[in-house]
Amino acid sequence: MNQGIDLQETFIQSLLDLGLSPGLAKAIWMPLPMFSMIIVATVGVLVVVWLERKISAAAQQRIGPEFAGPLGVLQPVADGMKLVFKEDIIPAKADALLFTIGPIIVVLPVFISYLVVPFGQNLVITNVNVGIFLWIALSSIAPIGLLMSGYASNNKYSLLGGLRAAAQSISYEIPLALSVLAVVMMSNSLSTIDIVEQQSGYGILGWNIWRQPVGLIIFWIAALAECERLPFDLPEAEEELVAGYQTEYSGMKFGLFYVGSYVNLVLSALVFAVLYLGGWESPIPLERVAGLIGVSETNSWLQIIQAAVGITMTVLKAYFLIFLAILLRWTVPRVRIDQLLDLGWKFLLPVSLVNLLLTAALKLAFPFAFGG
Amino acid sequence: MFNILKQVSDYAKGSIQAAKYIGQGLSVTFDHMRRRPVTVQYPYEKLIPSERFRGRIHFEFDKCISCEVCVRVCPINLPVVDWTFNKAIKKKELKHYSIDFGVCIFCGNCVEYCPTNCLSMTEEYELSTYDRHELNYDNVALGRLPYKVTQDPMVTPLRELVYLPKGVISPHDLPEGSQRPGLPNQKTESVTTTNE
Repeated sequence: MNQGIDLQETFIQSLLDLGLSPGLAKAIWMPLPMFSMIIVATVGVLVVVWLERKISAAAQQRIGPEFAGPLGVLQPVADGMKLVFKEDIIPAKADALLFTIGPIIVVLPVFISYLVVPFGQNLVITNVNVGIFLWIALSSIAPIGLLMSGYASNNKYSLLGGLRAAAQSISYEIPLALSVLAVVMMSNSLSTIDIVEQQSGYGILGWNIWRQPVGLIIFWIAALAECERLPFDLPEAEEELVAGYQTEYSGMKFGLFYVGSYVNLVLSALVFAVLYLGGWESPIPLERVAGLIGVSETNSWLQIIQAAVGITMTVLKAYFLIFLAILLRWTVPRVRIDQLLDLGWKFLLPVSLVNLLLTAALKLAFPFAFGG
Repeated sequence: MFNILKQVSDYAKGSIQAAKYIGQGLSVTFDHMRRRPVTVQYPYEKLIPSERFRGRIHFEFDKCISCEVCVRVCPINLPVVDWTFNKAIKKKELKHYSIDFGVCIFCGNCVEYCPTNCLSMTEEYELSTYDRHELNYDNVALGRLPYKVTQDPMVTPLRELVYLPKGVISPHDLPEGSQRPGLPNQKTESVTTTNE
């Protein structure tokens, strides 16, 4: 199997050729993908905020942001700048330390989760063996931060919001993990790279959407609940709780929550693309097309095109899912807290368990189609 | 045993039903995305007020006979009519007249009952000021005519929905020169000018 472009190898090799020691070369390489990933995540947020506002406007027959830059693309930048320069208020009777740490704990794990999101065969920061498990583990840190900031605000709305956020995250973590487990079982690996590899080769026909139709719906519902997107935005339900745990926050601390929620949405969409939509694979398998035309697999042009198509495909799939989330936001009304927990525990959990058992049975019965 | 099976099938049917409804809702939302925005981009575009629009009141000083009917029909006796009796000609002489539009509810009773038609409604609705006392219009301010939306070079006038020709929904789609007040069946310009 041809590995495609390996930027890391090439970069370190060129540094070694310059006469640097292997350790130093590696140390110089390491910050590059990390910074680029942080930048990608942040720019992704700006794009998503703009898309959200524009699509929301279109769904409501409005125009949306229009004057800040062409078609209002600079509006999220302007919003961000405003947040940076706003006064940072800590309420007098709040616990200042926890109040400050809260948003950081919410945001950090989301950014760290980008470690395991692959954009191509070698376009991933770390190919850890437990990639998807790392994502699930990290996403369960966020409710601690939410609860912390809700409690530290010393405000009843904040506390209620924080408690709701914690309850919601914990109850939707389980169906989420179970639906991921079904995919993991089929690909015999927790690594995101292996999960995509297992879906590759047959284009759109090989993706997990055909093998996990129930799992993907459960995953998407649970992911929306994890991101606290409508219809599951109870923790910040503005009509009831002012803004939930965000009530007392202003300035960049509020900005962290804001960025965190959108980064989390993009992350969930990316993970969905990796798990069910074949990650960086294009609907028509490129290697086969290249084989038909008669281009060699080691052709450098082919490799560059493959890498570019891979990144585009991943991002396209993720943005399609975000579009779906925005459309859902304006279609489905918010559920009540009892309906939310009902849906999580009485519907998604048993269905995802059945789905897991069914996947196991199918894997035993048809090992060729379900990754035996 | 069968009872449980029935429960399960009912539950599954309910879930499918719910999914179907959500799908229907999504298709409605999706359909809205291709529709034209209904936004009137206010300072640059303005709707043409209808003929019976009740805006700021216009007052003609010379027509007024100081009968104070406007004060009596006003729900809060708002118009201030300051007159003296001129014994030489045995007539009331109006000195000052004012209406405070910060208090007026634009019910139009004064306009309706004025025996000499010296009060009338205008299309003006942009009455924002920095000080509420500036809204207390005296007879000079009341005598000013507002700028017409259709004649303002800064503004694209847009017809309201009722005033669009049959079958047209968006006022943006009308041909050049048709953005004028009045109903669409009034075809010639002379008819519209007399109506204005």
